[in-house]
Amino acid sequence: MELLGMRDIHKSFSGVPVLRGVSLSVQEGEVHALLGENGAGKSTLMNILTGAYACDSGTITFAGNDITNASIKQVEDAGIAFVHQELNLFNDLLAYENIFLGQELTNRFGSLDKGKMISQAHDLFTRLGVDIDPCALVDDLKPSEKQLLEISRALFRNARLLILDEPTTALNTEEVEHLFSIVRGLRKGGTSFIFISHKMPEIFELCDSYTILRNGSFIKSGRIADTTPAEATSLMVGASMEQRGSWQPRELGDEVLRLEGYSGNGFRNVDLSVRRGEVIGLTGLKGCGSSELMQTLFGVMRPTGGVASISGTKLHGGSIHEAMRAGVAMLPADRKENSVVPDMSLLENMCLSEQVLSAKSLPISRSREVERFDHYKRLLGIKAPSPDANINSLSGGNQQKVFIARWLNTDASVLLLDNPTQGIDVGAKAEIYRLILGLAEAGKTGLINTLEIPELKEVADTCYVFYEGEVVKALPHDQIDERTVMLYSTNSLATA
Amino acid sequence: MAVKTMEEGKARSGGSLLGALKRYSFVLVFLAIYIVYAVVSGGLTVGATMNIFRHSAVIGIIAVGMGLICLTGDIDLSVGSMLAFVAGFSVVVFNQTQGSIPLTLLFALCLGALCGLLNGVLVGVVEMPSFIVTLATMLIFRSLSQYECQHLPSELIGNGSSVYRMSSTLPSYQAIYQFGNGRLPGGMPIVGLILLLVIIVFVYLLTSTKFGKKVYAVGSNARAARLAGISVPLMRTLVFVIAGALIGLAAFLWIAMNASSDPATTGKSYEMYAIAAVVLGGISMSGGRGKLLGVLFGAMSYTVIDKVIIALKMDSLINDTIKGVILILVILIQIMGPKLKDRFGKSKAGASE
Repeated sequence: MELLGMRDIHKSFSGVPVLRGVSLSVQEGEVHALLGENGAGKSTLMNILTGAYACDSGTITFAGNDITNASIKQVEDAGIAFVHQELNLFNDLLAYENIFLGQELTNRFGSLDKGKMISQAHDLFTRLGVDIDPCALVDDLKPSEKQLLEISRALFRNARLLILDEPTTALNTEEVEHLFSIVRGLRKGGTSFIFISHKMPEIFELCDSYTILRNGSFIKSGRIADTTPAEATSLMVGASMEQRGSWQPRELGDEVLRLEGYSGNGFRNVDLSVRRGEVIGLTGLKGCGSSELMQTLFGVMRPTGGVASISGTKLHGGSIHEAMRAGVAMLPADRKENSVVPDMSLLENMCLSEQVLSAKSLPISRSREVERFDHYKRLLGIKAPSPDANINSLSGGNQQKVFIARWLNTDASVLLLDNPTQGIDVGAKAEIYRLILGLAEAGKTGLINTLEIPELKEVADTCYVFYEGEVVKALPHDQIDERTVMLYSTNSLATA
Repeated sequence: MAVKTMEEGKARSGGSLLGALKRYSFVLVFLAIYIVYAVVSGGLTVGATMNIFRHSAVIGIIAVGMGLICLTGDIDLSVGSMLAFVAGFSVVVFNQTQGSIPLTLLFALCLGALCGLLNGVLVGVVEMPSFIVTLATMLIFRSLSQYECQHLPSELIGNGSSVYRMSSTLPSYQAIYQFGNGRLPGGMPIVGLILLLVIIVFVYLLTSTKFGKKVYAVGSNARAARLAGISVPLMRTLVFVIAGALIGLAAFLWIAMNASSDPATTGKSYEMYAIAAVVLGGISMSGGRGKLLGVLFGAMSYTVIDKVIIALKMDSLINDTIKGVILILVILIQIMGPKLKDRFGKSKAGASE
């Protein structure tokens, strides 16, 4: 029996369509995989389902009732719960307080009946097979426990459909198994799940059916048993995968960046030699230290040992200004937090770093800045109405180009790009990588930290794989493939 | 969240008349109050209008400093006490240097900047919350100026009791008093001209120099500002130092206008008036947004309210009630306006479907 039916959903943001007639149908008591690359429209679809956004057209039915464009509260009351990637728990409250928040039990004098709440929470945890102390402070729980707590809370509130948004990213293998066994148990009891994940093995282990989105369009749905991981992957990425490859061997210049025994918070003993025009990929599992290496090189954090030199000049470390003067630039991860200055225009956002370097002459020449802006707008293909438009009026990909321009404008020779395609749609991703190759051609040196190996394969001359803070393998361009990189980044070879 | 920012973007890029009115709403507020003043005082003379500048000079200059601090997302509660502190000791310096005006001015600027440096280092470098730091220095500056007034030899404070008084026997006494109370041809008070000069300099600094961009960037997103290469601790310290120097200037004007400074009452509640002027002028208290020009109009709006009350012969104790009510009204309109429009617009769209 169909529990949820979303039909022909359309949605545009300021004229740009992000969903073009998407449909999704979830049966009672099944785990339904929602597949698609970043930017395919999964989050938008889920935000429409939970009432965070209103859709432009289309209908949503849940358990036979029409819930099209219902409020967040109405959707919640109907029995749909979203278990977010960033968990929606109150870290300063205890586990049971989170479960009962807003529905606290009271005794006849109106004061909280803590004993009853704790015992009910305990019963709930036991029933689900979750091993959490109801009186534990949420802040002290492990990520996996927080996830289970949030699922428990949703079930306590009679949720019939749970949306799990990449629930396994922060979990280890054992915790994933535990989560899956709980999901299977609940499925038997009639609860349905929408499971959003990029990890094919998990999907094929757990899910019953799937829906694939690509670029805001509905591609296919069916039973998991009737498809293969290879087919699902190619449906997700479409034909664009093959067209992307624009990597060519290049003439490399002199050594620009040299690391010897470089150590810092989160990484140790990194030796690296990068030549002018080279593009280096850094990769590994979450927390492997590659992002910390970049931040330390850029002076955000202090190195604890070893030597880093740019074109023969040693960096003392710990000063962003020093790194900038040496010609190092960093595009940090998490664009919204670390790059966007929300109250400023495109022009101001772009010129900020150059202004830091030229701060000695105080006045700003607007005409010269606009000239630079137009230059980078052409060079990088930034789609923007005017230099005075607000930075938040641009799409993620165009914002990222503005920040690349911010650093090119400082004449930096070494570009550290930390997860540069985060939250950017597929088309813009390919464009960003083409740009990086173009810049390398023009003599810039790039280091890219990303977990997306297919993307690295498109651009990197060499790929360094990190495992727990150390470089375990350097792979030349033609040896970069998902399987090999995974083997090294999980250190499977050492344990085998 | 994404939807909200998009709306903001739209609102800001809108070059319509409505958009311009919204961006310069502080002018409208001032004009409204000014018209009330014109009506209740039965027509206005040039002199009365010029007087607004005279009475806005001290609070206006302080509010410029406060605006600068608020743009970086901090706050300074110590400005009123600092005014009393610097003014008191500047009187002492004036008396001690046989009435040297340049030395008095230099001392006032330096002591103000030093007081600001104390606030700034604790906020910007040590990273203590500015609310707490300046709350503490507010108590310290006020107490010290009152304590010293009782304990300094009385000839240093012009033989006043519990008041710092400039010694009227010094030859330059007339000159400094003339500076504080004189007018230029056309009726513009000299202190009013100084206020305008300060505003012009700081509007230029904030809109057209790299310094200004950094102030906005730090207030808008300190993390991004840091990763763009800006030294955030330096900027946060610097705005406090500049604000301190401005308070030094305001203290100098104060003693030039009054020839004395009462440590108990000088600058009392000025931190609140300065913050109110900043908010009325449209600067966001969370930083990063707003125009410094608004501060001028915010400060002048409050001066005019004083004058309205005098013209109506109301009890001056009602003064703060009216100022408070106007502040709430203006912010209410700013916050409720878009919400009402949103609700109205939504219901209309719903009906048309």
